[in-house]
Order: sequence, then structure tokens, then C-alpha cells
Amino acid sequence: MSPVLEIRDLNKSFDGIVVADGIDLTLEAGRVVGLIGPNGAGKTSLFNLVSGVVQPDSGAILLDGQPLARLKIHERARRGLSRTWQNLRLFPSLTVLDNLLVAPRDYAGESLLRLVLSPGRVRRESEADRARAHDILARTGLAGVAGKSVDELTFGQQKLVGVARALMNDARCLLLDEPMAGVEGQAYQTIQAVVRELAASGVAVCVVEHNVAFIRDLCDEGVFMFAGKVLSRGPVHDLIADPRLTELYFGT
Amino acid sequence: MDYVYTLIIIIGLYVVLSSSFNLIIGYGGLISIAHPIFYAIGAYGSAVLARDHGVPVPVAMAAGALIALVASVLLALPSLRISGDYLLIASIGFQLGLIEVFKNVSWSGGAGGLTNIPPALPSGTDRGVYTAIVVVLAGLSVLLIRTIAHGPYGRAMAAMRDDELAFSALGRNAMAIKVGIFAIGSGLAGFAGALYAHHFRYLAPEQFEILLSAALLTMVVVGGLRSTWGPVVGAIMLEALPQAITFLNLPASLLGPLQGLLFTGLVLVFMFVRPQGLVPAGTVWNATRKEADYVPGA
Repeated sequence: MSPVLEIRDLNKSFDGIVVADGIDLTLEAGRVVGLIGPNGAGKTSLFNLVSGVVQPDSGAILLDGQPLARLKIHERARRGLSRTWQNLRLFPSLTVLDNLLVAPRDYAGESLLRLVLSPGRVRRESEADRARAHDILARTGLAGVAGKSVDELTFGQQKLVGVARALMNDARCLLLDEPMAGVEGQAYQTIQAVVRELAASGVAVCVVEHNVAFIRDLCDEGVFMFAGKVLSRGPVHDLIADPRLTELYFGT
Repeated sequence: MDYVYTLIIIIGLYVVLSSSFNLIIGYGGLISIAHPIFYAIGAYGSAVLARDHGVPVPVAMAAGALIALVASVLLALPSLRISGDYLLIASIGFQLGLIEVFKNVSWSGGAGGLTNIPPALPSGTDRGVYTAIVVVLAGLSVLLIRTIAHGPYGRAMAAMRDDELAFSALGRNAMAIKVGIFAIGSGLAGFAGALYAHHFRYLAPEQFEILLSAALLTMVVVGGLRSTWGPVVGAIMLEALPQAITFLNLPASLLGPLQGLLFTGLVLVFMFVRPQGLVPAGTVWNATRKEADYVPGA
């Protein structure tokens, strides 16, 4: 299967601190890859490099075979690359529904030209987006809080909004940064189910997560990172069982 | 009656100026002080086209607004490419530099001002007619800004102000939206300038000095940042009040300082007592609408 995202020999250091050291990684359509490793291993930095928040020193990142290096953050997202954030980064002055409505990969309402020249088309697309947003809210168990400001939600619900917003983005490749941190109960099950559904629809998913049980239950494969390097890739239970990696993870 | 008409026209123009300034600094979150110079560009552009090049006044007015819009894009594109903060510095330079140009080139009439600007309406027309036109156009401008701020574009503006990085990572082009907001706001200021020029028929550079942006900022802040009616209320109040105290029959030596005190005093009072302004905007975008209740197919 041809990879959706391909990372080749990616390098980055900040003032001598290496966050990416010759990283090679591929993500395939329909598969969920879990990125594990201790704090400071470079997992979030890798997401920042791929999404364009940080520029690499060298190396290549390809989405569907097309290099991303020269593209800005929003252009990468337009090509089908989506991500969530450890610290959520929701839009607090918007309702839950509007957090989703502003997130479609192609948002007709952001172009003044289209608003003026083809208002009818914009309206039809907006209606379609709205229907899709309500569908996603229902699937993520957020239908009841659609009209609330995200500030009024519990932390678990806010996490769900982050995932729901990413779903709305309709990406080819989705990077989830610690979707489970601080999440319990129903939200846990919901996120599992939603990510699985997403992969089943052909999206390439990569998850950074410290919750090893979540990674084990969800991911087809695990990638162990340490000090900016990919040390190992394979079935999650093999990685967890590897005493060498466990030692690096817990620092014992 | 002429006095009242003039006052209403001035207030109408300030409504356009403060509302469009609110679009830029409030809704757009862009920091610029160059609003007076786009007002000037529209005024001079329209006046010179009509007076020296035989362009019909309504066409010249539209052209004046368009010139201001284009000039604002030329200022915003390179500035915003560097960073949002750079727009402030660039706008100061643009404002101060261009006003010197208007003072010194011959086609603008120089420091002496531009005279004999063709009137918008045939001479002899009742002043009430132009007053009504300005009031209607001011109303339409407010409506245009309200439509933008409450529609899909407004949703994008709100999200962009909240978190530009997360906004970009969803595929939204923050740069294009900022330039768009700046262009619309500045184009409207230019349009107000054109309306001014063909009524008062005389332009002088000192009418468009940097201090005018302080007055506009006062109107927006006192009225209510990011609210539709805030800048309208601010403009009416801050234009009408200084006029009203002229009726107190105070000696002229007291009147000037009293008007100054009123402005600065109001800003201070509002900063402390009511920072959200007279007509506060809600904290949640479009919360008043019942959109969230919409269920497809229901």
C-alpha cells in the first residue's frame, strides 16, 4: 500500500537540543500508528515539523507523494493534513457547533470573493457543513452541548470537541496529540470508537499518547521514539514487552 | 437648519469611520492608526478626479473608495507578511508620510488645501437631500459590516482572533482574512472621505492628521468594541456632546478646554467603569441566534 504520509531522514535541533534525529516514518491509509516514548522524546516536535509549525533543518515530508516543505501551515492542512493539540487550542469565543463549522478543509465562508460572487453556492455548502457538523456532534456525544461555549464544558468534553473539530476537517492524515490525557469514562470509549471508524474510512492516523492501554487497544502498530530517534516499530504488545524500551520509557 | 444638517452629515461620516475602524481593530484584531489617511485618500482621490479630470461625481466617489482600498492592500500585504505588530509601525509611517505628501504636492492643493471641489448634487438642491443620502449610506455601511461580522466570514474572524495557529492548522488563511478585513475597512473610510469632499468642497491636510485616529478609537472604545451599534453610539455621542456644550453660552476661552476634557475624561471613565463600552458585544460569537438549535431534516 502506498503511504499517505512519508517522512524521510528528518532532522531538527534547537540550540543543540536534538528533537528529530534522522526520522524515517510512513503512515498508511486505514492504519492507526501509536507514537510512544518518554517526555522529551520528540513526539510533539515531530507533529510540529509535519504540520509546518516548525521548519526542519533537513529531510523530506511527503503527503500523497507531494513534498510539503515549501507549504505554509494552512496550505498543508488544505492538502489533507490535520492535527490536534496537547493543550486543545479550541476557539473559546465560538460555540461548540461553530468550532466545528469553521473547520471544514475547504471553508467557503473564508473567501470574500466567493461570498460576493456565488452566495448561493456558499449557502448550500454551509448547509451541507452544518448537517455534517451535527452528525459528528452526535457521533462524539456532544449533540447536547452544541450551543454552549467551549469554556462551559468539562475537560473531557473539550477534548472531544478537539477531536470532533479534527473530524470536521476531513483530512487524509490525522495527527492526534495526547487525545486521552485527562479523559475518563464515556469520552474514552467514544474517542476509541471514533478514531477506529475514521481509520476504517481510509484515513491515516498517528496518535501520541502516554496511556499505554489506549495505544494497545487502538493502534495497529506502535513506534517507539527516544531522543529524537525512532528506535523501534512493530506490534504494540511487542514494544510494551521489550525490556530495553521499558527501561528507556521509565528511566529505571 | 443648515447647522443641524451639517451636524447630521458629520455624524453620519463618523459613523462610517468608527464602524469601519471597529471592523479593523475590533473584529479583525489588527492594530493600525492609519484610518485617517485612508479617509484622506478617498477624499482627495474623488475630489481630484471630479475636479481636474472631469469624472462624474458618483463615479469619482466610488473610485476614491477603490483607491483607498487598493492603497490599504499595498500597505497590509508586506506588513502582515512580516508580523501583525509590524502593521502598526507601517501604519504610523504611512499616515505621517502620506499626509506630508498631501501638504507638499501641487495636485492636492498643498498645505493651502484643495478648493472648488464639484458638489455632489446640483447647486440649489435642498441640503436635506444630501443629508438623507449620507444617513442612508451610513446605515448601509453599518449593515454591511454587521452582515460580514455575523456571517461565515465573521465566524472565521472570531476563530482567528482566538487562536491563529489552530486556525491555520485547519486550513484557514489568516493572512488573506486580515488583508480582506483591512481592505474593506479602509475602503469604507475612503468612501466616507469622498462623501465629505463633495459636500464641504474644501479639503485641507490637517483635517486628516493622526489625532483623528485617537478620536475614532475613543468612539469605538466608548461605544463598544466589536459590537455593531457601539461605534454608532460612540460617534453620535462624541460628535454631538461637544456641539451641545457650545449652547451653554460659556466664554470661548473655556469652551475649547472643556471639550478636550470631555473627550479624555470619557475615555478614562470608560476604561475604569465600563471597559466593554456602552453597547457591549457578547462574549460568544452570534450567541443570540438560535443556530445551534438547527436540526437537519427536522
